[in-house]
Amino acid sequence: MGEVIVITSGKGGVGKTTTTANIGIGLAQAGKKVIVIDTDLGLRNLDVVMGLENKIVYNLVDVIEGNCRLRQALIRDKRFAELYLLPSAQTRDKSAVSPGQMQKLISELETEFDYILLDCPAGIEQGFENAVAGAERAIIVTTPEVSAIRDADRIIGLLETKGIKKNSLIINRLRIEMVQKGDMMTVEDVTEILAIPLLGVIPDDEQVVIATNQGEPIVGTDSLSGHAYDHICRRILGEEIPIPDFSHSDSFFSRVRRLFGKN
Amino acid sequence: MSAPSVHIAKDRLHHLLMADRMKCTPDMAEKLSRDMYHTIAKYIEIRPENFQLKITRSDIHIKYTGENY
Repeated sequence: MGEVIVITSGKGGVGKTTTTANIGIGLAQAGKKVIVIDTDLGLRNLDVVMGLENKIVYNLVDVIEGNCRLRQALIRDKRFAELYLLPSAQTRDKSAVSPGQMQKLISELETEFDYILLDCPAGIEQGFENAVAGAERAIIVTTPEVSAIRDADRIIGLLETKGIKKNSLIINRLRIEMVQKGDMMTVEDVTEILAIPLLGVIPDDEQVVIATNQGEPIVGTDSLSGHAYDHICRRILGEEIPIPDFSHSDSFFSRVRRLFGKN
Repeated sequence: MSAPSVHIAKDRLHHLLMADRMKCTPDMAEKLSRDMYHTIAKYIEIRPENFQLKITRSDIHIKYTGENY
């Protein structure tokens, strides 16, 4: 039986979709059979981040409404044969899918895939309810900002109420120089406030923007964020990899940055 | 150069989360903290600066460091 993981945040724009895509690709790189599902009805995005937008024929709502068979709506990734995308609908209203229907869909997929990743929409409305309905574990993405952390706290509370207790945190877009200057919360500050296990830290990296422009993954590339996503995937697979210390000036990353003349 | 802003962020977040978790206004959260302090101060020798009330998603922690002075 596959593991069902929802990637959520509360606040929009913190990197849920990029994270879903790169964890999906990273797990596929490790030889796992993975499906990523875009549950953001009306605002389809995951296909674009993965560079699969031209391959869409059917979508999640078509499957739910019985316009096609589940298999017909699954898009195979162009890089990994064992990675699939179930895209969202671009034009349907948000009530087209119910949590019960999502649960049924996921139970069909569970027998076939090792990992089922659900990209959750922002907010705490119906889309959130749908995305978490079939999930047994959640990855909460936040940035080190007051508003994002506040929303993450709300989301963790809601997940706990729903009985999803296996929650872990990804801190995205950490700016190491700002942390060192005391102008950005540290990894410890954020984990202390949110009080859930830390799955990974992704440094702010323009390579992510470049990769996303191209619809290509960042995981597996030789970049700060590429390595961070790689570590996250390996932690999901059960490896114990320590989180690098980002708060000191002689950290691994600042040495790498100096090496490349970025400081 | 201006002073590091991270303390302001943490302080704002602390107040926001306390209010969110209690589903009340920051002002009410402040009042609760004050009332708790006064209640405890009736029984334990304590100073305001050594008293801290922290509300997490599932617990209320009251921290004091009375023995340190």
